[in-house]
Amino acid sequence: MSINHLFLITFLELVTAMIATVLFKKYVASKEKYFLYFLWFTLIFEIIGAIMRYVFEWKTIGYYNFYILISFLFYYYWYYTIIQNKSIKNIILIFSVLFLGVALYNLFFQSWFEYHQYTFVVGALLTLICTIFHFWQLLHSDEILEVKYKLSFWISTGLLLFNIGMVPFMLLSHHLNLKGDSYYLILITLNVILYGCYIIGFLWTKEKYNRF
Amino acid sequence: MDEGEVQSFLIIFSVIAICLALTVIVLFIVFLQRKNKLLLQQAKTKEAFEKELSETQIEIREETLRNISWELHDNIGQLMTLAKIQVQMEEHRSDSIKEASDTIGMALQELRVLSKLINPEALKSLTLEEAVQLEIERFNRLQVLEALLKVEGEPRTLNPKEEIIIFRILQEFFSNTIKHSKASILIVEIQYHGAYLSIRAADNGIGFEQIDEKVSGIGMKNMKNRAKLVNADLKITAEKNKGTQLTLVYNFVD
Repeated sequence: MSINHLFLITFLELVTAMIATVLFKKYVASKEKYFLYFLWFTLIFEIIGAIMRYVFEWKTIGYYNFYILISFLFYYYWYYTIIQNKSIKNIILIFSVLFLGVALYNLFFQSWFEYHQYTFVVGALLTLICTIFHFWQLLHSDEILEVKYKLSFWISTGLLLFNIGMVPFMLLSHHLNLKGDSYYLILITLNVILYGCYIIGFLWTKEKYNRF
Repeated sequence: MDEGEVQSFLIIFSVIAICLALTVIVLFIVFLQRKNKLLLQQAKTKEAFEKELSETQIEIREETLRNISWELHDNIGQLMTLAKIQVQMEEHRSDSIKEASDTIGMALQELRVLSKLINPEALKSLTLEEAVQLEIERFNRLQVLEALLKVEGEPRTLNPKEEIIIFRILQEFFSNTIKHSKASILIVEIQYHGAYLSIRAADNGIGFEQIDEKVSGIGMKNMKNRAKLVNADLKITAEKNKGTQLTLVYNFVD
């Protein structure tokens, strides 16, 4: 694995987390505040992974499977708190259980020394459905008139674009045996889109549109 | 990178690019459409609210006029009739008492016409031409200016409610002519063209500078709001020292 490529993503995460911290006041009243903690958690997780890999020279592929588990569960939790419709809330709850089942199954019955891309694909597909639920909610409220100032809209957009790119990437790169620079090029592009959306959201959002 | 790897990279890259592009386009269109729809709805609600407001204002005004009309007719009218009888009962009738009696009689007549013209109930029983004619005769009697009414075409009956609103627009114009324009002549033309009705009223007064939206007074705004309520086109033009002209076109609803 190329050290430069991974540092680029870690650097992106650092920038996003720092912007999120500086502008925390703008969204402190909303549920998006959890994203601040999540972004720092991601960064620290990444740094620990890098240390394990490059300092101790351990095999860390299995370590990232835990990140898949935690990150998707976090997204579901976030969507659970911002979606208002009761039955959709229940659906998200079912998604979480479903995803947890798939992830645990893979953790126990698959090798710890490979990346569990099917866990990722299931998690990403369920997240995509959650983003659509969220957009549907935005579309049916007056908030749509000022949607570009809403942080949750930008986070959802980022997640939607990232995951819609990641699903075919995960499935195809495995079957077509994609490695090296091209693999990282796509991965980095998608990360730039994801964190780009987050950063636009943090910069653009206005306090009065993030009151709940 | 060997050739196979380049190929798989290209395949994956294009698949992802297409997915992303489609998502962005769909998202953009859906959000834009929904936003436009909401904005349109808001504009419509606002318009409906303003219409409601104008209608309420007119209702309140008509109600007030009705009360004043009753008061004039029943209260002041009765008192003046009584005064006239009392004067006539005077035994030694001198010329000046006779004159006073005549003056009271004229005043009584004026009062009745006025009370009729401002009472919406009374107006309902009159056609538009009759109401305008009464108003014009009143001006001529008052000798403030020389007024004239011309009617052309085959008269048609209007919806009584809308007829009152049109008549009130004309009244507003007349009262402006009398109060501000220093005109000596007022000409009103009512033309029936079958599907529509056009009314032109013109005076030869001092006119005013070109109408500025912001400066135009409450009277002008009221006239325009009322015209909007009955779906009539209203245009008021003025030329300094040459006069003011009102053109109103009302479309009959079939």
